[in-house]
Amino acid sequence: MVNQLMTNLHYLVAMILFIIGFHTMLTHSNLIKKVIGMNIMETGIFLLFISIGYVRGGSAPIINDSIASYVNPLPSALILTGIVVGVSLTAFSLSMILKIYHYYGTVDSDEIMKIKDAEE
Amino acid sequence: MRDVVLQTIAKLIIPFIQLYGLYIIVHGHITPGGGFAGGSILASSFILYALAYDVGDGFRRMPRLAAKWLESMGGLMFVAIGLFALVQGGNYLTNFLGIGNPGTILSGGSIPLLTIAVGIKVASTIITLFYHLLEEKRHG
Amino acid sequence: MTHLPVLIIVFYLVLAFLTPLLGRIKRLNTGWLAIGGTLAGLIMAAVLAWHVAQNGPYSYFPGQWQAPIGIEVRVDALTVLMTLLNNGVGLMVMLFALRGVKNEIGEGLTVWYNTIFFLLMAALNGLAMSFDLFNVFVFTEIGTITACALVAIKPKRMCIRAALHYLILSTVGSGMILLAISLIYMVTGHLNMGFISGEIAGAFALYPLNIYVAMGLFIVGFGIKAALFPLHIWLPDAHSSAPAPSSALLSGLVVKIYIVVLGRLLFQMFGVGIFENIPVPDVLIFLAILGMLFGSISAMNQLEFKRMLAYSSVAQIGYIFLGLSLTTHEAMAGGLFHMVSHALTKSMLFLAAGAIYYKTGIKKTDELNGIGYQLPLVTAAVTVGAISMIGIPGTSGFVSKWMLAFGAFDAQRPLLVGVLLISSLLNATYYFPLISRAWFGHPRSSLRWDEPPRLMLLPIIVLMIGNLWFGIFPQTLRILVVQVASMWLP
Repeated sequence: MVNQLMTNLHYLVAMILFIIGFHTMLTHSNLIKKVIGMNIMETGIFLLFISIGYVRGGSAPIINDSIASYVNPLPSALILTGIVVGVSLTAFSLSMILKIYHYYGTVDSDEIMKIKDAEE
Repeated sequence: MRDVVLQTIAKLIIPFIQLYGLYIIVHGHITPGGGFAGGSILASSFILYALAYDVGDGFRRMPRLAAKWLESMGGLMFVAIGLFALVQGGNYLTNFLGIGNPGTILSGGSIPLLTIAVGIKVASTIITLFYHLLEEKRHG
Repeated sequence: MTHLPVLIIVFYLVLAFLTPLLGRIKRLNTGWLAIGGTLAGLIMAAVLAWHVAQNGPYSYFPGQWQAPIGIEVRVDALTVLMTLLNNGVGLMVMLFALRGVKNEIGEGLTVWYNTIFFLLMAALNGLAMSFDLFNVFVFTEIGTITACALVAIKPKRMCIRAALHYLILSTVGSGMILLAISLIYMVTGHLNMGFISGEIAGAFALYPLNIYVAMGLFIVGFGIKAALFPLHIWLPDAHSSAPAPSSALLSGLVVKIYIVVLGRLLFQMFGVGIFENIPVPDVLIFLAILGMLFGSISAMNQLEFKRMLAYSSVAQIGYIFLGLSLTTHEAMAGGLFHMVSHALTKSMLFLAAGAIYYKTGIKKTDELNGIGYQLPLVTAAVTVGAISMIGIPGTSGFVSKWMLAFGAFDAQRPLLVGVLLISSLLNATYYFPLISRAWFGHPRSSLRWDEPPRLMLLPIIVLMIGNLWFGIFPQTLRILVVQVASMWLP
């Protein structure tokens, strides 16, 4: 059991990061902490995807005639795209949070709910 | 932020950051990295300049109009390379240059050109994002 | 001609890159560029449809790299259906937005509105034709960001808050989709849907847990974006506070394409055979019924017109999911027919709400008394739309509900016909008072208005005629959806 856990350590850590990020997004009321939680969650997913491609005993995927086996380069290439998508989402949500701060004067989502209910 | 230490170090290190970014872009088909990573590093050199020295000075060196043009030109260059392959008779984005020796810079067909286009686009996009976030603060 | 599928996406991308540059020329209104571009896209989609009708479905490989190494772009009946729908409704919405979006977002932002619209069109068309899992992920992300941008472009507090809510929930959905893709890649070693469908049976025998979790994550991830019942929470705020053309696009096209992609994954990649081991259709039927009932019940309580239409969207999406998850030919064809019908009808209703707001400034339903005498054409369109939502014969809503009822009989679940009737009744309880008040009520204020400008009236009338056309002559669309259903259920 412990042996199986040690061989699959990457997947376990990736899922722990996913849960930490998801929990942060759900429970903290500060909007910026929600964005940070979103980033941690995406980092966990990227770690899972990249660690699938590891080949035990393989070297870095830069072509060289004297090396027999390489690590799978496909997940790394795909996750580069995924990281850029994550950066765009973070930038977009941060600019929207700036606008919300400008309108409401606070970044706390509970306070924003109170202001919204008071004005309706 | 007019700190002497920050300004001196920024003045020394910005050329190396730009060289490193260009290295990653140009070697995108041989080593890991490519357009996205290299473009971000290139953009961070501009942002370091704007943060260490006056922001207005940084805006003057890379005006918003230039960033907008570079962004559109980078995207159009990518699409133009793809469509050029259509003209040559293959499918979209087919290779039309030769495949050189694997491991040198002049290998990989049309991929280095695509990487350069993506690098330009990503760098100008990140600079534009930085401008927008700073302008929010200026206009309150 | 065979290059057309990729050319449609590339064309929209080129227009999206050119629009900010051309927007600096003061005398050029980029709205005309948007209309011209969407018209060209519609013509390309029509030529593609003719080509597929002559020569049958085919696959296109960008870069000329064959299937497991390269990306596959698949052009079949479903692609034809979705590209025609996307470009057609997009053209109508852009005709409206030429005049109708300036009063909601201001003069300077229309250039960016058109840019975001082109990117959204590229993403929607790309999702209709991509057959590779990572391509689906990238286009999904483009679609998410541009859809949120279309809501957030209006500088009001409600819009930014609704857009942030939509963005955060959609990002959770995208994260789950990427996780599911990695789980599938782990056990099958492919990202191409055709190759995965060959390997799925073997992978399920060796690693059933991966396939269970991947299927669940796909349904939750795409369900958040497609507004399946408990995951629809972002929809009322986002669709009601966005500018009118954005609401029409979001409710009509964006939500539907994710349902289609989920259908492609469940039926073409996983295959129907796997549903004997994993009870996915039962879960989806249950959630669809809850969505139909709760959507209509919530819509009855709403005071604002657009919020009522948004909750009604939740109910109609329940119908589409019901049709897709009763795995018989007739029910699936009915679900897809309802998708087309709802896309035409709901866009028309949202555009009509935008036209009424443009002329009169009215947002609440109880202020719409007597508006039929002053804006007769718009109110006639709203009446046809409401009748189609309820399902009265003569409109396309009736044809789709008819096909769904027959599909429920085919699947040996006659009780679902009762559920369909109850939900039609619930639809009637909030649409009929609206129509009767609009035609027969007494106006509260004494202001007099006339019809909206012709350019805003034209798309509403064209969509209404489309709705009635598919209600009276449903044969051509029926042939297409039955072809898609038989492709999904061999």
